[in-house]
Amino acid sequence: MKNWQHRIKSWLINYLALPSDVMLELPRITVIGQLHVYIENHKGIAVYSDNELTLKANKGYIQIKGSSFVLKMMLPEEILLEGHISDIKFLPDIQE
Amino acid sequence: MKRIQGSYLRGYVKVLVKGERPERFFQACTNRGIAVWDIKKETNNTCSGNVALGDVKYLKQIKRETNDYKLRFIGRKGYPFLINQFFQKKPLLLGLCLSLLLIVFLSNIVWEVKITGVPNDLEEKITNQLEQYGVHRGSWSFTIDSPSVIQQRLLNDVPELLWVGVHKKGTTYMLEGVEKVVVEEEEVDGPRNLVATKKGVIQEMYVSKGVPKVQVNDYVEPGDVLVSGEIPSGQASEGEEENDDEKDEEEVELIAAEGDITAKTWYETNVEVPLSTNNETLTGNKEKKYAIRIGNIEFPIWGFKSPEYDQIHREKYEQPIHFLTWELPIKFVTTTLSEKEYHEVERTKEEAIDYGIKQAKQELQLHLGPKAEIISEKVLHETTENGKVKLTLYITVEEDIVKEEPINQGD
Repeated sequence: MKNWQHRIKSWLINYLALPSDVMLELPRITVIGQLHVYIENHKGIAVYSDNELTLKANKGYIQIKGSSFVLKMMLPEEILLEGHISDIKFLPDIQE
Repeated sequence: MKRIQGSYLRGYVKVLVKGERPERFFQACTNRGIAVWDIKKETNNTCSGNVALGDVKYLKQIKRETNDYKLRFIGRKGYPFLINQFFQKKPLLLGLCLSLLLIVFLSNIVWEVKITGVPNDLEEKITNQLEQYGVHRGSWSFTIDSPSVIQQRLLNDVPELLWVGVHKKGTTYMLEGVEKVVVEEEEVDGPRNLVATKKGVIQEMYVSKGVPKVQVNDYVEPGDVLVSGEIPSGQASEGEEENDDEKDEEEVELIAAEGDITAKTWYETNVEVPLSTNNETLTGNKEKKYAIRIGNIEFPIWGFKSPEYDQIHREKYEQPIHFLTWELPIKFVTTTLSEKEYHEVERTKEEAIDYGIKQAKQELQLHLGPKAEIISEKVLHETTENGKVKLTLYITVEEDIVKEEPINQGD
């Protein structure tokens, strides 16, 4: 059943050119230089400190590293991170 | 971003969360739909963030639901707090109120009375008169009558004034007067005739200069020459007759005709008199009440009891209170309660006719001036309908009908 749904979604994305983040509930990450990272469609904070932000996503985690991090704005499923960003990594679904 | 914009206006607080994984607390907040911003990890187990003032009440709920976090409010920002702070400074507030009151007080005082356009002696007279009305430097402007009333009273009390304009400009009363210059009545110099202004029958004639053209009991129309100023020269100066013998007979001398001529004139007027009337008269008993009105609400200051009159005639006089040049919505209201009585008068037809005749005569006399004399009146027609008597009157008057008209000396 789930597989069937997934296939329909993939087909819709391909043939109707729908944005994949909406259809597959994937996070959308907008990076502005090394200054800002704007993440939508995340599933909550896992780790947050001065130099690391790890967010839960649909599958796995998004890990952002850098220094002097401030969460400029935090809304349900939306985060704006400010600081000096050095790397953004996708981690597989493992226990922290 | 929209939810954070304008947060300074509505106020926000900075919360310091202490506990294991403090960012989880903020996560819980956002899950509840509360916007949090500027989140900073201070140390390993403390985290600070801003929350809108309106959302603070939910924080405690969230705190109860999550594991024990310790919340501390470490900053208050925004206008609500600034205003609160301001209102907590009692002396400042008191000072502000007092200064506002002072300005209101000073705005309602007459600071200057300016009189222009009249000579000094008259100015002094006006100043004295104004002093009696209570208009002088330093008087309360709401105890003073309105400019139009002052104007009227000044004109009555200072006979030398032809006209006076009174207007209030902020705290200054500006008076502009015109002095009455008593001019000798200007005689029409030069030759003139006397002509009739109305149609009528001449009753009396007294001609002191000129040639009368009409006689007693003659009927005249408006514009008819009554006394001519053209005198045949021979007649004018009999002494010179011999010397001017050679002169053309048609040559005339032009003089200013003078004389009094009274004629009988007639007027037809219509009057309507109701058979029953109501009228009110004031008995003279009155009381005054004072109040301050803000918007539509009146706060009495003096005179709380209502007088025990059966019928009351109320007269309200409102005097606005000023703040600098603006009129405040606060007014000083003086109410005069006068006792009044109703009189209901029923008239018979005869009485109504009498009354109508009297009224018509009065009106006509007022119209014609005091010199005219009403001789007789006659009811031409009378009807009664809808409780009213309609009269058509024919009134005979004796009056002066003379008008001076210069003789045109075109050539």
